Amino acid sequence: MDIEFSTADLAFQQDVQAFIKANLPRGMDMWTKRSEWFQALRDKGGWDVAKWPVAFGGPGFTPTQRYIFDLEMSRNSTPPQIPFGVTMLAPILMNYGTREQQERFLPGIRDGSVNWCQGYSEPGAGSDLANLQTKAVLAADGSHYVVNGQKIWTTLAHIAHWMFCLVRTDNTGIKQEGITFLLIPMNDPGIEIKPIITLGGSHSVNEVYITDVKVPVADRIGEEGKGWTYAKGLLVHERTGLAGIQNSVLALSKARNNALQVKVGDGTLLDVPAFRNKLGALEAELLALEFTELRSLASVSAGSDPGPESSIMKLKGTEIQQRISELNLEAAGVYAAAWGEQVGPGFARAATSAYLGTRATTIFGGASEVQKDVIAKNVLGLG
Amino acid sequence: MDLAFTEEQNLLRDSVRKFVDSQYAISGRNKLSASAAGFSRDYWQQYAELGWLALPFSEADGGIGGTPVDTMVLMEEFGRGLVLEPYLATVVMFGSAISMAGNEAQRAELLPAIMDGSLMASFAYAEAQSHHDLNNIETSAAADGDGYLINGEKCVVLNGQSAGKLLVSTRTSGTSQDHTGITLFIVDAAASGIKRTDYPTVDGLRAADIKFTDVRVSAADQLGETGKGYAIVESIANRAILALAAEAVGAMEVLYQDTIAYTKQRRQFDHPLSEFQVLKHRMTEMFMEHALAKSLCMKATMLETQGSAETQRTIHALKYLIGKASRFVGQNAVQLHGGMGMTEELRVAHYFKRLMVIDSQFGNTDHHLERFVA
Ligand SMILES: Cc1cc2nc3c(=O)[nH]c(=O)nc-3n(C[C@H](O)[C@H](O)[C@H](O)COP(=O)(O)OP(=O)(O)OC[C@H]3O[C@@H](n4cnc5c(N)ncnc54)[C@H](O)[C@@H]3O)c2cc1C
Repeated sequence: MDIEFSTADLAFQQDVQAFIKANLPRGMDMWTKRSEWFQALRDKGGWDVAKWPVAFGGPGFTPTQRYIFDLEMSRNSTPPQIPFGVTMLAPILMNYGTREQQERFLPGIRDGSVNWCQGYSEPGAGSDLANLQTKAVLAADGSHYVVNGQKIWTTLAHIAHWMFCLVRTDNTGIKQEGITFLLIPMNDPGIEIKPIITLGGSHSVNEVYITDVKVPVADRIGEEGKGWTYAKGLLVHERTGLAGIQNSVLALSKARNNALQVKVGDGTLLDVPAFRNKLGALEAELLALEFTELRSLASVSAGSDPGPESSIMKLKGTEIQQRISELNLEAAGVYAAAWGEQVGPGFARAATSAYLGTRATTIFGGASEVQKDVIAKNVLGLG
Repeated sequence: MDLAFTEEQNLLRDSVRKFVDSQYAISGRNKLSASAAGFSRDYWQQYAELGWLALPFSEADGGIGGTPVDTMVLMEEFGRGLVLEPYLATVVMFGSAISMAGNEAQRAELLPAIMDGSLMASFAYAEAQSHHDLNNIETSAAADGDGYLINGEKCVVLNGQSAGKLLVSTRTSGTSQDHTGITLFIVDAAASGIKRTDYPTVDGLRAADIKFTDVRVSAADQLGETGKGYAIVESIANRAILALAAEAVGAMEVLYQDTIAYTKQRRQFDHPLSEFQVLKHRMTEMFMEHALAKSLCMKATMLETQGSAETQRTIHALKYLIGKASRFVGQNAVQLHGGMGMTEELRVAHYFKRLMVIDSQFGNTDHHLERFVA
């Protein structure tokens, strides 16, 4: 055993750090120079699509390199990519799409010119996703499907050009078997989008109504009835990404700084034992979670499965995100209540907002209660 | 011992509940919250007519002579409806300060105006550096002729926007963390030298940051003795905590009951959610948290009514427990509603936000637990 990275991996880490230092836009440039940043990543040799294989223009990172790459990117708060295309759909296209589909869709995903949304959940199909009822009926001539139904909680549907969607093509067998994976253009006149306003008044999720939308068979991924299998692989990608460990490491050090700004008596909030202990407990748990990720990484590097530990990443990671948001809320003191105008300590408004927003992290991408059931069953063999 | 409510208290509960049930459906409530005033002046006038604004004041002052238990009964029902009118700020905080510490002239001028609905008011106590310490005051009142000049800034003043009068805690001597040297003044909200920044609070109420620059008050505006204001501040805080706790108890009741109703009706995996054991246990815990919070709220309120020596310590325990229970009940109500719990459309989100704010007011869980164990 060796707790250090190899010399080669350390050299890679330095390369990533140097790249970030040279290219990362700072301050306000973060927004205006976004595309320059992604171009620089691309020019570096496919670093804009770090998880893609070489055959599709990716850098072909080893698992350890990928880990280091993500680590440095998160640590430096580099501009995030909207995950739906690059992280979630692309692997499915690569594994199950036709060459024609890959050539048609991957470039737009890669350069960010085409936005995607994920149309899985429905009013009756949340945790029980396989219960989805949006219906796709193959036309008599076999050229296209006619799709009718409703999706809900569709993140960023209102800015998406396309939606990758699970639909029901068969009702006769077990639920999972009649599901098909379709790509649906959002500018179809049969698509209607209604915003859903979530806790704190923001708009990111939507209801999507689908009425008589014709989808060419050419826009189906893989075989009819196999959509569930394709999507399940994808959900694993989604879940490992949702733990947000490095973001939490960063968020926790910000929480510490926030607490240092808050005067309590002659000292600061960090001198209040109850607060300091909660912060410390989170630091300890995050250390453990970070190393859990490394154990899983080691296992993958050695050519095995990620290991049973990896299943806890999303569960624990999201719990930690929520607890960090509680610390910031407490640090905001009476200003935790303020909303609207920027008043009180600079971090207060964001703290309140984050406390509300992070409630969703234990609901989406597999609600925690259901995740625990899955782990109990698949990892622990409990029924 | 007798823990039964009196007939009057039961009648009060019924009438407030009836009002809340008929006037405070969540959509109407949220529309009111978004209006310019942020609440209904018509409702406020109704409260005056129903005698609710006179509830805690003595009969000698023209009030109904209710006890903190009566206020608890009313606030619990207000909590069930997320009522927006500034009852806490005007009647509980400002009003009880005047009735406890006001002289003859102050009581005669201010209490009737509160009771008939014409005066709304606020208590300006918090400051940027004070965190949750009520004695940590830098706003100064310096003697100037026969009066004082007030300078400083108060933050997150509840109901600041509609207050006609402000009760302001100031420092007349000593340094920011002393318990002595604190003096209270009743200040006209329109006095020159006052600059207000109004804003909504996340729970749909209103607050303001208020800056005082050479604001002149006369000796007649002073509430209580010079330098001995901390005891009054503490008494107001205790009354406010009891009222907030009762409100939280009402809000938690709605949340756990809504969650039970929702999980019975929502089906996933071919079963109502309410049949999944982990959710049954979670809702049982929500119910337990609510029951315990309610018990301690009653106990502390009864001790306060009797003027017991145990009151202060019990109030610390109460605010701690209310914060803890509110967080558990609020978070799990959202969680068990799944995506629906995240929407502003269901009332769950709004009760969740109100409970989150209550923990931030008059000291959070950590603050009070530390004082309880001290
Ligand atoms: C902000 C946000 C963004 C989202 N973005 C998208 C998106 O882009 N695309 C998309 O398709 N979906 C999206 N979703 C939907 C998300 O995947 C679902 O909300 C999630 O699957 C939970 O489903 P539900 O909301 O219907 O809750 P439900 O399934 O009704 O669950 C409600 C509660 O019951 C619990 N529960 C359910 N079943 C069981 C069981 N068997 N045992 C014990 N407890 C159980 C859950 O854990 C939860 O606490 C998003 C959701 C949110 C909140």
